[in-house]
Amino acid sequence: MNWRRIALISVPFLWLLGLFLVPFFIVLKISLSDIALAIPPYTPTLELSEGWSGLRDLVAQLDFENFAFLADDDLYWKSYLSSVQIAFVSTFMCLLIGFPIAYGMANAPTEWQPTLMLLVILPFWTSFLIRVYSLIGLLSQEGMINQFLMWIGLINEPLMILNTNWAVYIGIVYTYCPFMILPIYATLIKLDGSLLEAAEDLGCSRTEAFWRITIPLSKAGIIAGCFLVFIPALGEFVIPSLLGGSGTLMIGKVLFEEFFANRDWPVASAVAVILLLILIIPIVMYQRNEQKMMEADT
Amino acid sequence: MSQNEFAPWNDPAAKPLIQFKNVTKQFGDFTAVDDLSIDIYEKEFFALLGPSGCGKTTMMRMLAGFEKPTSGTILLDGKDISPIPPNKRSVNMMFQSYALFPHLTVYDNIAFGLKRSAMPRDEIDGRVKDMLRLVQIEKFANRKPEQISGGQRQRVALARALAKAPKLLLLDEPLSALDKKLRQDTQFELMDIQEKTGTTFVIVTHDQEEAMTVASRVAVMNFGKLVQVDTPTQIYEAPNSAYVADFIGDVNIIEGNATKDGDRVSIAWAEGQPDIIGTPSQPIGDGRVSFVIRPEKIAISSDKPADRRNAVQGKVLDIAYLGNMSTYHVEMPNGMVIKAQAANQRRRDSLPFTWEDPVWLSWSDTAGVVLEGSGQV
Amino acid sequence: MRRLTWFNATSLTLGFAFLYIPMIIVIIYSFNESRLVTVWGGFSTKWYGELFQNEAFLDAALVTFQVGLISSLIATILGTMGAYVLVRGGRFFGRTLFSGMIYAPLVMPEVITGLSLLLLFISIGLDRGMTTIVLAHATFSMCYVSVVVSSRLVSFDRSVEEAALDLGCTPFDAFRSVTLPIIAPAVISGWLLALTLSLDDLVIASFVAGPSSTTLPIKVFSSVRLGVSPEINALSTILIGIVTIGTVAASLTTKRAALRRKREQQMAEQAS
Repeated sequence: MNWRRIALISVPFLWLLGLFLVPFFIVLKISLSDIALAIPPYTPTLELSEGWSGLRDLVAQLDFENFAFLADDDLYWKSYLSSVQIAFVSTFMCLLIGFPIAYGMANAPTEWQPTLMLLVILPFWTSFLIRVYSLIGLLSQEGMINQFLMWIGLINEPLMILNTNWAVYIGIVYTYCPFMILPIYATLIKLDGSLLEAAEDLGCSRTEAFWRITIPLSKAGIIAGCFLVFIPALGEFVIPSLLGGSGTLMIGKVLFEEFFANRDWPVASAVAVILLLILIIPIVMYQRNEQKMMEADT
Repeated sequence: MSQNEFAPWNDPAAKPLIQFKNVTKQFGDFTAVDDLSIDIYEKEFFALLGPSGCGKTTMMRMLAGFEKPTSGTILLDGKDISPIPPNKRSVNMMFQSYALFPHLTVYDNIAFGLKRSAMPRDEIDGRVKDMLRLVQIEKFANRKPEQISGGQRQRVALARALAKAPKLLLLDEPLSALDKKLRQDTQFELMDIQEKTGTTFVIVTHDQEEAMTVASRVAVMNFGKLVQVDTPTQIYEAPNSAYVADFIGDVNIIEGNATKDGDRVSIAWAEGQPDIIGTPSQPIGDGRVSFVIRPEKIAISSDKPADRRNAVQGKVLDIAYLGNMSTYHVEMPNGMVIKAQAANQRRRDSLPFTWEDPVWLSWSDTAGVVLEGSGQV
Repeated sequence: MRRLTWFNATSLTLGFAFLYIPMIIVIIYSFNESRLVTVWGGFSTKWYGELFQNEAFLDAALVTFQVGLISSLIATILGTMGAYVLVRGGRFFGRTLFSGMIYAPLVMPEVITGLSLLLLFISIGLDRGMTTIVLAHATFSMCYVSVVVSSRLVSFDRSVEEAALDLGCTPFDAFRSVTLPIIAPAVISGWLLALTLSLDDLVIASFVAGPSSTTLPIKVFSSVRLGVSPEINALSTILIGIVTIGTVAASLTTKRAALRRKREQQMAEQAS
């Protein structure tokens, strides 16, 4: 091993170690500390001057008080539950809307494909914040949707959509849809058309061929898309705080408020630790699925 | 033919250019090359032939420097090359995929190695142009690799590897991407270029016809070991094992028990059939042997030939019509099938034999090879 | 198989309508004379004028672009190195940890990344400001660059690099003169992705930005919380316009290059 190789490996390695991994241990440590009226607002802090014994003192003062607090106060576990529920429902809605779009794209004439692809990618490059913002004007009580519904006479007074969980569902589906469409499209486009012809040749109806051939063979894409929506939606902050109401409980929003409004860093850290623990299972499942897809490709 | 005169491997005084000395290469548990020793001489066109996974590519990559032997040494010009990195070896390689640099023109691809050598700048241009002329692609000098055809890309790859005038040129399945017709033409061109430049070529191939056509010597490999190293004629006419006989061309392998009979052996191979008389190339004892004979060495006739001791009768089971010749599958009374080939000197509608015809197969005493042991490949 | 059935046509039309109508409405209302965002008061470009006189927005935009350029540059260099280590680095101590650290930030909730980086900066005594935003953005976007670049590295023929070594290149020379030109398109798209992510980020910047270094998304967020405003409509329209022009131009260029390549290949086949 020469020095060039060592340098090549260690630069990105140390960068990620210092700016990604170490911060997590700091979060973990602070989640075990107590809130204090000080700067920084928690205790104990590490006294480097005292060396090894300083570290031992520090460890001795850490406890699971914040986690006990999270368990006692039903705000937190209700937020976790409600986050999981919102993420789950919106992932399912995303799939219901995203799959037909991906299917339509994959079956569109070949010369249309690049344009359709561009149309899906364009929102992805457009500012997330602006896309969420664009829904506000649409969903508000004086917004387009209510005006339209009243105009056609379906309703007499405006519906309350903005500032409810409905708006959060719509927001997540709207902003994360490309994440569902792209992986499904990627598996559908690779699907060999002669497989469907073979199925029909062997006596399947077209619908049957869809359920027995297309769906199983696009399973990896569907799974990837679901995780790509579910994982970030679970920790979402912007959508619940802009579109949701005061009754909307999502853990990303709780963490943000705990940190900035209440300045309770230890509790915020404990919230983050739990959120991470909840996410570990879907993240690991997602990476397994990715690996399987990669192996299938080679 | 010049091949008859050029045989440094028979000359004890000749110094080999490359020597593998007990080279073993392992990848984890898998032994790709197993305690292998071989000498390759200057100006040879040496072919490594074998099925995929036999270790031939690993040998080539060790010569190029992309792999290091697990044990043993490789000498180039008498010097151990294992500590030398690939970029410092006077060995160049033509890759199976050609590995042309897609962002550089044909000209720059060929000049690439020269620019990294000690050659003065002003000589590079002349050398590149020589190379373009050598492989006849002057017209495409300013094209990018994707703007030329597969056959032209193959030439660029060859020119690029030859440009630095390496002591040794390695060719990894150089013609496998070409279609059959072009491949055959290119084989002769390769031989021509090898002769013109006087470079030592080592070619890796799984195509036995290709190896037979181009090489001065062929090394047949299997499971990381050399099975036989010899000239193409010897490999074909005197295979040292049933494996080699079967790998190169079509063959009949008949097992039996041998009894010495002067400098011949007589082989009892089936009950109720006359013994086969064979001529072993080296003295062998009595016991189990395999008699190996090529289909084209077996004559087929409707009457028993009077002048040959080896003659058996059977009936025609199948005929494979190949145009210039036909292969007859003849079933013996004991159920064994022997293949015999005959040139089609007449039009097909007047072929002498047809299905179910009783025929005689015959061959001379020296037509086949007698090998010790059973013929299981 | 490739034919447009009525079902596919309907799902495509409805799907793209869903994706685009909200943004189109924002664009239309940015040209609305009236301050009321629900009533059409005639065509006007006055909100664009007001936007460009809003010092706070302009300052935030400047900070955002500076952060974006610097952080995306760092992310591109580190991310390309990371991709190379991941794909070509062979075995080394901590390889699994390394690939985990490359992939984890992609799925990490932004609130956690932001919180953890802020706590790090505070514990090492680094003042919050542009530097901290740059460090934070470079860290998470380098992972995106790595993923984009490594997928290109995986797909290209390894023997091209070996050929360079065989022809006398040192490993570094081979990377510079062969590998880098070949993966350049992926490096550029990685850089664009890093730039977009940085310009777009709200959550992480909210944690690590100091009072003196407000970025555009932070500014937009705080004013959007108060409701819809025509200035934000105008700003959105400008940003959507930039992205649209950029993406369409990029796809046209690649399409044209692909067409040219195809034509040249056909010519080559005919010539031989």
